[in-house]
Amino acid sequence: MRATISETKVIPAVLFDRWFLFAALALLFLGLIMVASASIGISERGYGTPFHYIIRQICYVGLGGFCSFIILRIHSDYWQRYGGYLMLLTLLLLVIVLIPGLGREINGSRRWLGIGPLGFQISELAKFTVIIYLAGYLVRRGDEVRSQVVGFLKPMLLLGIVSCLLLLEPDFGATAVMMMTALLVLFIAGVPLRHYLALICVVGAGMGGLAVSSPYRLARLTSFLNPWVQQYASGYQLTQSLIAFGRGGWLGVGLGNSVQKLFYLPEAHTDFLFAVLAEELGLIGEAVVVGLFALLITRIFMIARRAHRLGKDFAAYLGYGFGIWIGLQVFINIGVNSGMLPTKGLTLPLMSYGGSSLLVMLMALAMILRIDYECRLEER
Amino acid sequence: MKFHDLKNRTAKPTGKSESLYTFRFILVCLFLILCAAGLLLRMVDLNVIQRKFLLKEGNARAIRVMKLPAYRGMVLDRNGVPLAISTPVKSIWVNPHLFKAKSWQWQHLAKYLHYSEAQLKQLIHENHKRYFFYLKRNLDPSLAAKIKALSIPGLFLQKDYKRFYPQGSSLAAIIGFTNVDDQGQSGLELAYNKWLRGISGKERVVRDRIGNVIARLGILRKPQPGHNLQLSIDYRIQYLAFHSLKQEVDHSKAKSGTIIVLNSQTGEILAMASYPSYNPNLLHKSDDPNYRNRTVTDVFEPGSTVKAFTVVNALDSGKYTPTTKVNTNPGWLRFGKDYIHDSGHVNNGILTVRGILQKSSNIGVTKLTLSLPPDSLWQVFHKVGFGRLSSIGFPGESPGVLIHHRIWRPVTLATLSYGYGLSTTTLQLAHAYMVLAEDGIWRPVSLLKLNHIPEGKRILHKHVCSEVLNMLESVVERGGTAPRASIPGYWVAGKTGTVRMVGPHGYELNHHIGTFVGVAPVTRPRLVVVVEIRDPRKGSYYGGLVAAPVFAKVMAGALRILNVAPDRPRKTGGPHA
Repeated sequence: MRATISETKVIPAVLFDRWFLFAALALLFLGLIMVASASIGISERGYGTPFHYIIRQICYVGLGGFCSFIILRIHSDYWQRYGGYLMLLTLLLLVIVLIPGLGREINGSRRWLGIGPLGFQISELAKFTVIIYLAGYLVRRGDEVRSQVVGFLKPMLLLGIVSCLLLLEPDFGATAVMMMTALLVLFIAGVPLRHYLALICVVGAGMGGLAVSSPYRLARLTSFLNPWVQQYASGYQLTQSLIAFGRGGWLGVGLGNSVQKLFYLPEAHTDFLFAVLAEELGLIGEAVVVGLFALLITRIFMIARRAHRLGKDFAAYLGYGFGIWIGLQVFINIGVNSGMLPTKGLTLPLMSYGGSSLLVMLMALAMILRIDYECRLEER
Repeated sequence: MKFHDLKNRTAKPTGKSESLYTFRFILVCLFLILCAAGLLLRMVDLNVIQRKFLLKEGNARAIRVMKLPAYRGMVLDRNGVPLAISTPVKSIWVNPHLFKAKSWQWQHLAKYLHYSEAQLKQLIHENHKRYFFYLKRNLDPSLAAKIKALSIPGLFLQKDYKRFYPQGSSLAAIIGFTNVDDQGQSGLELAYNKWLRGISGKERVVRDRIGNVIARLGILRKPQPGHNLQLSIDYRIQYLAFHSLKQEVDHSKAKSGTIIVLNSQTGEILAMASYPSYNPNLLHKSDDPNYRNRTVTDVFEPGSTVKAFTVVNALDSGKYTPTTKVNTNPGWLRFGKDYIHDSGHVNNGILTVRGILQKSSNIGVTKLTLSLPPDSLWQVFHKVGFGRLSSIGFPGESPGVLIHHRIWRPVTLATLSYGYGLSTTTLQLAHAYMVLAEDGIWRPVSLLKLNHIPEGKRILHKHVCSEVLNMLESVVERGGTAPRASIPGYWVAGKTGTVRMVGPHGYELNHHIGTFVGVAPVTRPRLVVVVEIRDPRKGSYYGGLVAAPVFAKVMAGALRILNVAPDRPRKTGGPHA
């Protein structure tokens, strides 16, 4: 740590990725504007003031900024060393959140651990720690993973346990994102294709089985294909979301002019924020958001790639992991909003209202920034 | 130091290009690029290609056509005094799914609406499955403003109109009332609903799911206010007539009463009242019998009041003059097993035609009628309007009953000649006497103010009518049946009527209807007034005693209000003498 500080003093040149920072801040800012716009109606109705949600969201940004600042000062090697403890802590919290009385149940899901007015979604933390732990594991046991079946199955066992705990909440969306991210990271890390395909079959069958075994999941899973059949029942939310896209057209109805956010579209400020953005800012606005996410993920991959080349494998896997995580979650969220994918409760990273998601995402980005910084230092 | 160990461990001893799995990385990148491309294609699909359909669906959910209430026209009296006015009020409605009140808001709301808090909570709970219900309709705007200031979520205000009737119960049965939606339900409000109500406007608005209007897209149709309706009623005469009637009905503990003041020269109804009445400004029960305008809905056998027309028939035949003598001995007549008597079973002996009217002799009019062609009496009755609807078009008006027999049995003719076996409304009686007052000219009656006098139609000979009118003067003189109907300063012609009411077992012994019909001033008739008192329980039931005083009071007052010059000097002497 001491060394790091002294180095920053010596080298005045830019030691962070400007495009990365630009994309992250632009998305964060656009997100705040959209949350403010989308939440005015329900805030006014529920709390008598139009700014209830946006003020809280700004507080989360502040908290996230503070945590990021701390993370920026921690060498990435620490995460590699303590990733295991972090994983254990997360597992413990995932168990605690399931205990009635300790975990808070909202909308039928027991996802929150809370102190007073503050609540935290453990599933968000789980996605974050799993990637850190996996990156560390791949560094420690890379050869075993690449060569032996057991080496591959061991991390899979852990992922299986986390998935089960997440599904008990239940949080199907988080499970899907976590599993797919982990599999893609393992793929990049060089797991033999035969192991890999076998596992994909097993996981695919498992997920399919789960979806079929719970009728509500099946209903949700199939209703997205033609939401207009059940437009006042299971397809209600999706049809309202699609209408928002249609109303948006090329240029949108204008910031603040969304009709759908006025109680037609449920969860307009959280999971369905993108639909409100589509209505207010149109296709142009949607393309800008997708473009910014593409830029962000590209820069993350470039940072990870450079770390890989420099032999900083942990940093590289962390970068791949976070990049894939963000990419998948954006894809699923927008896919759900636009009716391409079955409706799942997933936030739009950096933009949707929600403290846990935002906090964890900012910490992940801070970690990327730190890796970038370390690489730049080394390259000098 | 430990970091160095770690770094040494992670560093690849072999060539980096192999262990980086570049191909796999590129595959993952491609996968993500495909995802992004898929999203962009889907967005173009929704935002551009499916836009028309989605817009249609969205509009179907959010765009509504709202009604803009139109102002209902006023009802005015003949001098422009308002009798029914629509005033803007507010209705409060609630969406129970959104209704959220804090305890101080509950408190205030309950206080303003005159509920207890528990009642209010109960009311909202009862409707908790609905998305719209009226909490209170037609609230005073100032109170509504206070409730709005509470700004309770889920509570909304709506503009409405409420009808007010400044004259209260005196005209209630005639004007009728409207429902909460400002639509006429009875009386003239119902009859002239189309004219009064106006056409509500239409406006296209965008609403949020809760029902708040968030944008106004334009007015499809402007609200067109309704027209005013000016009645022939003079509210001063109406007031006098109603209260005089009320006093008598209350005093004699009668079941009900009606009164009509008719301008005989134009056919305009200056006052028309029915008692008991109701307060049209209060909420209405659906089945109150007092909603009826009894002057046109309730029929009764006119009794002696039609004897004037029996005499008209006699004089019209040319066989009789006012001084022709008729023998009414011995005071009764027999038709098979039926007997008819003169009132009070007295024997009036030999009477002139004038005397028959003055004494109201049943035997006299029977003898006159039986000596004439049997159909002629029906003809006269029919011509003056008995058994036919008037032209005022009042909802629920009764035409009365006047049966035309192919073969007239003597007893049927006899009873018809003194007013049994037919039934009329109060209005028909007034209308018939209007023909007498106008010397045989028939004109329609009207509840609306007329700009010019409608052209009349001669249906009776002039000299016959003036002779009968002249004879009817004697009724109110000393020795007649209704001296109480006389008015100082004016010559009055009139006729009493007292009939038994018809019950389930024929004529009732102890239930009567007392009527009085009169015309004044006889030298140049201006007004016809009919008073009918149904079933008086206290004191006398004779028309000359129960109805005539009301007549005198109202007629005198009305003549004064209309500034009609007195035609009778202080000293006695006939006007036609």
